[in-house]
Amino acid sequence: MTEEATISDQIADGKNKTNVRCQFCNSLMLKAREGSYSEQEIDVPLMVQKQDRTADNLNTEPLKHFWLVKDMLTFENIGFSHTVDGKKFLVCADCERGPVGYHELSTKHCYLALKRVVHTD
Amino acid sequence: MAKTYDYLFKLLLIGDSGVGKTCILFRFSEDAFNTTFISTIGIDFKIRTIELDNKKIKLQIWDTAGQERFRTITTAYYRGAMGIMLVYDITQEKSFENIKNWIRNIEENASADVEKMLLGNKCELHDKRQVSKERGEQLAIEYGIKFMETSAKASINVEEAFLTLASDIKAKTEKRMEANNPPKGGHQLKTLDSRTKDSWLSRCSLL
Repeated sequence: MTEEATISDQIADGKNKTNVRCQFCNSLMLKAREGSYSEQEIDVPLMVQKQDRTADNLNTEPLKHFWLVKDMLTFENIGFSHTVDGKKFLVCADCERGPVGYHELSTKHCYLALKRVVHTD
Repeated sequence: MAKTYDYLFKLLLIGDSGVGKTCILFRFSEDAFNTTFISTIGIDFKIRTIELDNKKIKLQIWDTAGQERFRTITTAYYRGAMGIMLVYDITQEKSFENIKNWIRNIEENASADVEKMLLGNKCELHDKRQVSKERGEQLAIEYGIKFMETSAKASINVEEAFLTLASDIKAKTEKRMEANNPPKGGHQLKTLDSRTKDSWLSRCSLL
């Protein structure tokens, strides 16, 4: 997990300075300099949901800092969920934990949340 | 933007439901009161990057996502597929018998030159075995395709299986390219089997 305060350290020329990996199993998701830093406020479902939630009562948190990846094939290893409301959620291809971000079907862009991954080579 | 890979192969996993194509264990929800969001909606496909003979290959691997229950796997699903993993469960005789039906389905719907491979999954379950390894091998010979027994759960042969299939597709692709575009100079010798040993495709899921 990458803390808010250290986010600026991860950016060099608007790109990710280092490799991006799964915070649980270290799987390599994105190589250094392949993602562009992008800010937007988006509610992303939490990785763990409460059992008593209903479909329209999803536990989410607002995320703001993302690596924008315009072509999904730029990723080294990544999984895509089934589509929910025009989006596919990104998960670790190895341990399948997620969502670590989302894929927008209309633009085909992928957004990987800095807060849900680790930055290390 | 320049392409950062040499080849892109679209692969499909096909077989009866329950053969462990996506063996979804509730790995991270040991706490019975919680469920992961992802295990609820399921995974559609994955992108994997491998290296074979110094070529960077992107694999896009699709699961049938339960469509097989309704036998509705049609041309749309097979479109663009270059490789197919036919998966049965060695503890389920029926899933093995159905491989013939799946092959027929592939012949009717997929492109004729799609590369196929047969996998007998769950080979860690010795006590419950219903299909011998020999029968798997025999069936593969009958169809002229490669065969392996795998255990997604115990990470046996899963990575090898994908590397083998990718390697066969690569060889076929390069042969075709060479036929269309013969090299002007002498032949370049290629190193055999310079596979990288990343531990992807381990864990429980074949996908």
